[in-house]
Amino acid sequence: MSDLPMPIGETPEAAQGGIRSADWLEWLHGWIVTVDHKRLGILYILYSIFFLLVAGAEALFIRIQLAIPNNHFLTAQVYNRFFTMHGTTMVFLVGMPILFGFANYIVPLQIGARDMAFPRLNALSFWLTAFGGLLLYYSFLGGSGLYGVGNAPDVGWFAYAPLTARTFSPGNATDYWALALIVSGFGTLGTAVNIIATIFSMRCRGMTLMRMPLFTWLYLVVSGLTLVTITPLTAAQFMLLIDRYLGGHFFDTQAGGSALVWVHFFWIFGHPEVYVLVLPAFAIANEIIPVFSRKAIFGYPAMVAASVGIMFVSLGVWAHHMFTVGMTSVTNAFFVLSTMLVGIPTGIKIFNWIATIWGGRIRFSVAMLFCLGFLYQFLIAGLTGIMLAVAPLDWQLHNSYFVIAHFHYVLVGGIVFCIFAGLYYWYPKATGRMMSERLGRWHFWLFVIGFHITFDTMHFLGILGMPRSIYTYQPDRGWNTLNMIISVGGFIQAIAILIFAWNFIVSYFRGDEAGDDPWDAWTLEWTTSSPPPVYNFAVEPEVRSRRPLWDLKHPHDPDWEYEG
Amino acid sequence: MSTSTQVFPSASEREWKLPSRGRVGMLSLIIGESALFTIFVVAYIFYIGKSLTGPTPAQVLEVPILGTICLLSSSFAIWRSEHAIEHGKMRAFVAWLATTILLGLVFMVGTAIEWHKLIYRDGLTIRTNLFGTTFYSLVGLHATHVLLGLSMLSVVLVLALLDRFSESQSERFAVIALYWHFVDLVWVVVFTVVYLIGR
Amino acid sequence: MSSEQHHPHTSDGSHVALPASTAWPIVLAFGVTLCFASLVMNAGVGIAGLILMLCALVGWVREIFPHERHEEVPVIARPTVVATVRTQVSRIQISEVQRSYLPIESYPISSGIKGGIAGGIAMILPALLFGLLTQHSIWYAVNLLGGAGAAFWTNPSTEYIAAFHWSGLLIAIVIHSAVCLLVGLLYGAVLPMWPRHPILLGGILAPVLWTGMLHSAMWFINPAFADRIAWGWFAVSQLFFGIVAGMVVVRTGRIQTRQPLPFALRMGIEAKELMRPDAEDRN
Repeated sequence: MSDLPMPIGETPEAAQGGIRSADWLEWLHGWIVTVDHKRLGILYILYSIFFLLVAGAEALFIRIQLAIPNNHFLTAQVYNRFFTMHGTTMVFLVGMPILFGFANYIVPLQIGARDMAFPRLNALSFWLTAFGGLLLYYSFLGGSGLYGVGNAPDVGWFAYAPLTARTFSPGNATDYWALALIVSGFGTLGTAVNIIATIFSMRCRGMTLMRMPLFTWLYLVVSGLTLVTITPLTAAQFMLLIDRYLGGHFFDTQAGGSALVWVHFFWIFGHPEVYVLVLPAFAIANEIIPVFSRKAIFGYPAMVAASVGIMFVSLGVWAHHMFTVGMTSVTNAFFVLSTMLVGIPTGIKIFNWIATIWGGRIRFSVAMLFCLGFLYQFLIAGLTGIMLAVAPLDWQLHNSYFVIAHFHYVLVGGIVFCIFAGLYYWYPKATGRMMSERLGRWHFWLFVIGFHITFDTMHFLGILGMPRSIYTYQPDRGWNTLNMIISVGGFIQAIAILIFAWNFIVSYFRGDEAGDDPWDAWTLEWTTSSPPPVYNFAVEPEVRSRRPLWDLKHPHDPDWEYEG
Repeated sequence: MSTSTQVFPSASEREWKLPSRGRVGMLSLIIGESALFTIFVVAYIFYIGKSLTGPTPAQVLEVPILGTICLLSSSFAIWRSEHAIEHGKMRAFVAWLATTILLGLVFMVGTAIEWHKLIYRDGLTIRTNLFGTTFYSLVGLHATHVLLGLSMLSVVLVLALLDRFSESQSERFAVIALYWHFVDLVWVVVFTVVYLIGR
Repeated sequence: MSSEQHHPHTSDGSHVALPASTAWPIVLAFGVTLCFASLVMNAGVGIAGLILMLCALVGWVREIFPHERHEEVPVIARPTVVATVRTQVSRIQISEVQRSYLPIESYPISSGIKGGIAGGIAMILPALLFGLLTQHSIWYAVNLLGGAGAAFWTNPSTEYIAAFHWSGLLIAIVIHSAVCLLVGLLYGAVLPMWPRHPILLGGILAPVLWTGMLHSAMWFINPAFADRIAWGWFAVSQLFFGIVAGMVVVRTGRIQTRQPLPFALRMGIEAKELMRPDAEDRN
């Protein structure tokens, strides 16, 4: 069966060489009016990589400021803006768009569909996200705050009340924060609805739910979680705007309102948000680890169940961000226990990945290297998470650099590593060219080294008592050397990212030809050409197992004999 | 190398049925909207009785019986019009649809009268106290959703009167109807919280 | 809507209908953004946004009504072969010996619960004896247990503890029976791991571990009462509990574990892939 040819076409446009022959304006117009899920996916990813560089630069400014004590490289006000914008950008303009970009590009291909369920809504969602981001950054120019024009939000990415009240945040920098995130939140909601509808209603023949690739499964879970995660933030931001513009009293302690309610509402969004970001990272690892271990994923049903389990548990753990606000001991105990519960499904996943690698023929390509880094770092991040889940320890370490180290271990060590793995893995599919493995290795090793220099050290700094969000510190606190080391690590990571950016651009023009299936993988996206034609599949595919390409490549030993 | 189309071995000749994307999408949106309303409802319940100054709900709120009956019965009307368009009875469809819109409008007028009374006679605005803040935002959020639903239904009504809306659109109409049912359901919650528990 | 959702495939396969490109989404998104931005800019921006939104909505409706606009994209046939150079498939070999660690026979879990109940009743004897000998009151031990669970007894005197209290007795009975049942259940669940010497496990190891754990934890749970507990007597009561529980277990007959049976049978399902020994171990 495997040597049967497959008719797969290209559009005449692409055959002529795309942009080189077409008029430049026409090309641009094509991208702006597109409703094609692949183009929108690429737009999402490019948009997030751009903001990754921006927010990364902000982080570097923060690290320069903190490298030596009593530094006056940035003023306190600018420092506040930078850490607020760094956090907000990384979560809302980098993390979510890039992960939804992957979903946009890959999910329809993996389920054998020709497009998303609602292609126009898809375009609307992307542009809402994009304009929301631009609105946020316009505040650098247009926001007028306490210090005149050009004032970006400076209330922290969680914007705790009552700091956001009119009295304490005059001007409209805080409003830019709320408005931009409401706009991009609509986009996120649209994408989540779209992905769910796509996965339920657009699967090709034979692709039952339990035959879907795990990547698609996890995006179904993520989108479901996004629905109930992003809307509470939107609601809370509406309340904030009502307070600020209509004189409401939601968070106004002078009129009987409660600042604590904001904290609850924010973390009801904020904690599941972590899982909205990390589950797609799991999704990417679920695809890459089996392919480069040459084994089927271990425990597919357990992986699905664990993901769904994480989704439900994550909705009931938000107050572990709030142990220090003074809740009752019963509440504290509940959130300690529910938080530790997350360790169970996550542990199942880590064991399953290790069991997948175990005994496999491992190929250490760059994508796989990033996944292995993810496995190790995510484990550590989980363990420090369990430490912080213990309320008494959290009372000691709350808002210290230990917490910063912990969540950067999750967000960078876990999620960013998987994002890079995904970029190396699917780049050939989207462009038809391979990214350079040699530069990729430089990128990986520099990034790993820089990452560990920065974030391992931060744990110690936190235990030594350095609080987050301070713009400078006295030289006699014993934090000088560690801060310098952290800043150096930050710059090593920056070099790694620049190598990545160079590789990303240059490989598009000079990379090796990828062919349809450069990794010898098993999911449907690798049957079509690279890059895929606009219609994805000339003939709608039909599958009989979780690894349709395995069945074709090993006709005498197909999966469907075993999956029943 | 023939261009055979049958690459993937056919698993079975069973019919491959998938749920309608419109319904799945609308249900997802409803789940998201529910979370939005939940936050406002929770805020309302949390702030019951926490206002430092009057007026209190017990002093000024009157139970909007007529509006509630109208809104809830509009769910029945839209269900009948769904039924009608599925069977191609366009006249019945238009009649029931117009009834739905009319009932929705009565509800909105009722809300407008209520707000007018609250603002001008009782002096309760969104900035008066916590009750005002939570009341106007929760009821206002719901009213916004009713307005959105009404405008969608009105567009459908105009199209139907122009003979542009036919039986083939019944699936789309079912999706809009689903949204309308959701708006009604939310009102049951809002009504319970604001007029029964909170008063 | 469902009728159109799978983009119709023209009969000859030379063209595929795809949703047509449209500018309305970006216009609508821009309009929405302007509307929200007007709050921090000026009303003009908001009006412009509203106009854009309305235009975009009308345009959008025309785009999908009465039918979604499609464009026909020609399919260019391009024969491809799905194949791999890695045609060899090896399988992990798992020796059957690894299963022999699991016992063929064990005690049922219910025997653990029975043992727990019996041990719990038997344990009352040394506990009361302890109260009688040290404080001349059988209520002393009862109140120590009951009081440990009732945090509202703050700094009680020895006489107070030695006296009879309804609340102390009730709480003690609840705690005692619940813990005995749970420990019995745990005992029963652990039994298959060490099925040969239930008395050694239940009678000596478990009491020692349990006493040690409580000894270290009691100082956090209720330091005032931890002071009063005579740990020697405590350990003796635990041993008493364990030995009685173990004896009850031994008197219950052994049952066959399902370990020697194939996995599918143990799970009570009949599935083809589970019947084949190599099904789970392919790579």
